[in-house]
Amino acid sequence: MVNFVFKFFIAISCLLIFRGLLAEPLLDGADFDYGEYLSGQCLTCHQSSSDEGIPAINGAEALYIAKKLILYKNKELENEVMQLVASALDKEQIASLAIYFNSLEK
Amino acid sequence: MNNLSRRSFVSFALASTSLLAMPAISTGSARPKVVVVGGGAGGATAARYIAKDSKGAIDVTLIEASKHYYTCFYSNLYLGGFRDYDSIGHSYDNLSANHGVNVVHDWAISVDSAARKVRLGSGATVSYDRLVLSPGIDIKYDSIDGYSVEAQTKMPHAWKSGTQVKVLRDQVLSMPKGGTFAMVPPPNPYRCPPGPYERISMVAHILKERNPTAKIVVIDPKNKFSKQGLFMAGWEKHYPGMVEWIDNDTHGGIKNVNPETMEIETDLDTFKADVACVVPAQRAGAIAMNAGVTDGDWSPIVPASMQTKADGNIYVLGDASVASAMPKSGFSANSQAKVAANHIRGELTDSRVFPAKFSNTCWSLVATNDGIKVGANYKAGEEKIEVVDKFVSKTDEGNAKRKKTYEESIGWYNGITTDMFS
Ligand SMILES: Cc1cc2nc3c(=O)[nH]c(=O)nc-3n(C[C@H](O)[C@H](O)[C@H](O)COP(=O)(O)OP(=O)(O)OC[C@H]3O[C@@H](n4cnc5c(N)ncnc54)[C@H](O)[C@@H]3O)c2cc1C
Repeated sequence: MVNFVFKFFIAISCLLIFRGLLAEPLLDGADFDYGEYLSGQCLTCHQSSSDEGIPAINGAEALYIAKKLILYKNKELENEVMQLVASALDKEQIASLAIYFNSLEK
Repeated sequence: MNNLSRRSFVSFALASTSLLAMPAISTGSARPKVVVVGGGAGGATAARYIAKDSKGAIDVTLIEASKHYYTCFYSNLYLGGFRDYDSIGHSYDNLSANHGVNVVHDWAISVDSAARKVRLGSGATVSYDRLVLSPGIDIKYDSIDGYSVEAQTKMPHAWKSGTQVKVLRDQVLSMPKGGTFAMVPPPNPYRCPPGPYERISMVAHILKERNPTAKIVVIDPKNKFSKQGLFMAGWEKHYPGMVEWIDNDTHGGIKNVNPETMEIETDLDTFKADVACVVPAQRAGAIAMNAGVTDGDWSPIVPASMQTKADGNIYVLGDASVASAMPKSGFSANSQAKVAANHIRGELTDSRVFPAKFSNTCWSLVATNDGIKVGANYKAGEEKIEVVDKFVSKTDEGNAKRKKTYEESIGWYNGITTDMFS
């Protein structure tokens, strides 16, 4: 019984930690208007009119965008332009961009 | 407070003029007015963003001399045979159809900054609450002895939007076997720092295919240039022995050019060319000079907003501005336009103004599938736009990476032209 409670407790904690790391907290502090302004920097290259050479990101999942930006920021994904762009973004700016691009039509 | 009182005064003034002059159609003119001069990388972007993001709350007029904008970016790829000419031309139709921008195809002749009016070639005047000038560059024809407006058909600069690059391409294609192509790049500061060297690469690309014994001589008024190591390594790799670059210290200075004899005289020697591309020094487009917002050849700006230091109602974008660390590029002009658009909306409609963020990347093509790039992030310092971080391609990166960089530049071209004209 004690063993079961202990396992249950561990499982719940893992779940919470997992959610804490990978889910909504990444989008905390998102500010739509700020995202709209910041998106200007992305739209020079990322447009839904073309996927050639540079991916279209309009309408992409917000979490997907946020995670990608964090990977570029940590230099875990390659591409000098994206690493540079992401290195200059803080958590709130990443979250704002993520929800803004998610709101755009594909 | 200052801004607020100015704003209330503007709306009061607008309301009263419309009441006195045209009571029947006063609703439209009650909106604050932005006039943008120049529909290039800076101006088209600014007009589109102000109109789009204000959702009709601001009346935007774009004054652009040409019906079509042929991008200088990728004009070198046209020269090299990688693009056709039509693919670098863009119309302004969507700006009016999709965003309600009032596009006027005319020249802006003068600015009366006290009355806040722009006079057009047709004689009409357009009044503004805020004026955005993005006229690009004017060529300083007299900066090289012997060069002139007339000389440009013989020794085209092809450094402005338009058909000169077609003339240049035809000249390169009909160059005699084993002939000489001479390039005189401009002195600093100038539009598109890597541009002359991408142009040399593209000319070399054509000559290698059609006229492999031909030579290219670069008579540079500078001693170093953008992405120099990358370009020179690329020339050696793809066009061995074809390109000779002579720096200023070696030739001792360009004394004059002669379009009749096709000669370029330096302290060291006189070079005779079959085809010559001569790019003189440059300055801000004449309308910026006329508006009284320049100091010397360019317009000093307030980094946080792109307002000119001379007049807070006038913004200057792109090549015409002194953007300090930011190069004069289409990417820079587009980036600056968004900072200005956000600031102008804030001033005129009380929308939120966010801190300025600037960026630039310049891609260049050295040979088929051999793309290189240089880029940076910038922030608004008190006095100047300052670099935050930067990168440049490496000389030893593999072919796959170079091909990817070229493909990325195609994505950028599609992106920025959509961002300007859709
Ligand atoms: C060969 C070459 C290659 C280049 N490659 C690249 C590149 O790969 N990437 C990059 O980012 N940049 C590149 N550039 C640079 C880029 O073209 C310029 O930096 C950019 O166009 C500057 O934008 P702008 O808005 O300041 O001026 P422009 O884009 O030149 O726009 C100015 C517009 O204003 C109009 N105009 C001027 N005066 C008036 C007036 N009084 N009334 C009405 N209309 C007026 C003109 O007709 C013009 O359309 C290149 C340039 C060259 C020459």
